[in-house]
Amino acid sequence: MENDIAVKVSKLSRHFGSFVAVDEISFEVKKGEIFGFLGANGAGKTTAIKMLCGLLKPTSGEAYVAGFNIKTESSNIKKHTGYMSQKFSLYEDLKVKENIEFYGGIYGLSRKEILNKTKLLLSELHLENMQNSLTKTLPMGWKQRLALSTALLHDPPVIFLDEPTGGVDPVSRRNFWRIIYKIANLGKTIFVTTHYMDEAEYCKRLSIMHKGKIIEIGTPADLKSKYNKSSIQDVFVELADRD
Amino acid sequence: MRQILYLVQKEFRQIFRDKAMLRIIFIVPLIQILVLGNAITTDVKNIKIVIQDQDKTPYSRELILQFVHCKYFKTIGFEDNYTNLSDCLASGKANLAIVIPKHFQRHIVLNKKPDVQILVDGVDGNYAGVALGYATDILQKYQERLISSTPYLGFYAKNIHRVEKAPMFWYNPNLESKPYIVPGLIAILLLIITMFLTSMGIVREKEIGTLEQLMVTPIRSYQLVLGKVIPFSILGIVVINIAMGFIYLIFGIAVKGSLLFMVFESLIFIISTLGLGIFISTISETQQQALFMAWFTMICFILLSGFFFPIANMPYVIQKITLLNPLRYFIIILREIYLKGTSIKDLIPETLSLVAFGACLFIAAIIRFRKKIG
Repeated sequence: MENDIAVKVSKLSRHFGSFVAVDEISFEVKKGEIFGFLGANGAGKTTAIKMLCGLLKPTSGEAYVAGFNIKTESSNIKKHTGYMSQKFSLYEDLKVKENIEFYGGIYGLSRKEILNKTKLLLSELHLENMQNSLTKTLPMGWKQRLALSTALLHDPPVIFLDEPTGGVDPVSRRNFWRIIYKIANLGKTIFVTTHYMDEAEYCKRLSIMHKGKIIEIGTPADLKSKYNKSSIQDVFVELADRD
Repeated sequence: MRQILYLVQKEFRQIFRDKAMLRIIFIVPLIQILVLGNAITTDVKNIKIVIQDQDKTPYSRELILQFVHCKYFKTIGFEDNYTNLSDCLASGKANLAIVIPKHFQRHIVLNKKPDVQILVDGVDGNYAGVALGYATDILQKYQERLISSTPYLGFYAKNIHRVEKAPMFWYNPNLESKPYIVPGLIAILLLIITMFLTSMGIVREKEIGTLEQLMVTPIRSYQLVLGKVIPFSILGIVVINIAMGFIYLIFGIAVKGSLLFMVFESLIFIISTLGLGIFISTISETQQQALFMAWFTMICFILLSGFFFPIANMPYVIQKITLLNPLRYFIIILREIYLKGTSIKDLIPETLSLVAFGACLFIAAIIRFRKKIG
């Protein structure tokens, strides 16, 4: 496996009974890339992501994430990936700093590391004054950023974001993407699904899924010129309308 | 190991932050003990009687006095009309009617066999049986007094072939139902806290998405499960100890046996209930479903445990089915320790049954949990 490849997927499939959610998808993601994963609801994006971060076993095919086989090395996968789902998943009834402490502990960080990380995160997110507030009192955009930060406590090289900005206002989304860029600049690979086409334009490369298959893959500029459209939105609508 | 500690810490933080939940966990059980401990009673007291004295003689009045003075009976009135008498039973004003026929005294004096009719409201068979027993006792005592006061019978004639019964009820001398009910209440408390809270706690994390977030961390399923069950086990044990203290204060019933042994048996019992809780969480998508399943399980367990109804009175097939109920064994164990102070060597079969159930249920639950969630 080449050294600059973070995610390598070949002919990966997942069936639920007779339903084929993901149908032999293949692609590669380079290290430090922001890779956008587009597709209509039910196209199979979430199923694909869940397989890549070890939540679901594939029916067939191979995939390597951060150099580990997703079928046989799921515990290594979990140590070397971060995952944040469309569902906000911090404990609302824990304080901000308790959430950080908890996830730090779960990822096996030492007490000292947890203390350092907590300090760092709180100052980066400007949450020092809120550290003793219950998480449920935070505005949605902040919760989202906090969730991202806690998903990255263990410094994973590959990060999966499944519709991370769902239900967040435009300003917060912009802030969120600033963080994504910052993380990518540190050499981390970001794998993101989204329904916001303006966000898709921020990605370095995109893939578009339709009915379990990847029907298009390339840089935003390539896709736009290939379909002769002015925006990814138009490309997406054209592809998703096809049958 | 450290991961488990973090999970336990998190769980306790959540429990203690949720004031409504805390009230449910600590106060509701005490109310339950107070209400159910007093309400669930199989004691037969204050049996309402109505009397018809057709004889109206010194002998009949003497017999009536025995009923009036007996602490189990409460005389609500005298009726001369038989229809009114049966109305009393029909309307529930009286549970029992005593009819002393005409010539009662004459039959006694003439050494004929005097009759007394006793009519009992038999709707609640158990109650009726006990009430009739008390009435029969009174008649028997009355008869003995008649015999001993009969002047022309010699000493031997008075005592011949007379078998005196001298009953003694061990462990619960007054045959009160409280000492019998209370250990069962503790068992049910423990069942509720461990099974309900575990299943709902896991399903809640499923609902809010934190379970999925946990599953992408390197944490193992068994750590996750232990992190969930340890806090609720500690909570369960603490609550039953508080409950036992409360029971002592309110009802004056203390544990006869070793408290430590009781906690030990409780820990064995909750392996089953925690296993069930986890199992329920794997078949439920929402907290409502989990609650319903736990409720359904609990009702079956309680009804088939001998808590209310003695297992010996159940149909043969049902009796065999109760053998599959861990609560059945635990209630036996608790009653033994609570009332008799029985030690482990007399409770080995029950304890082993609990261990076997616990092991099977817990392992099955973990396997299913790993398959469904892990």
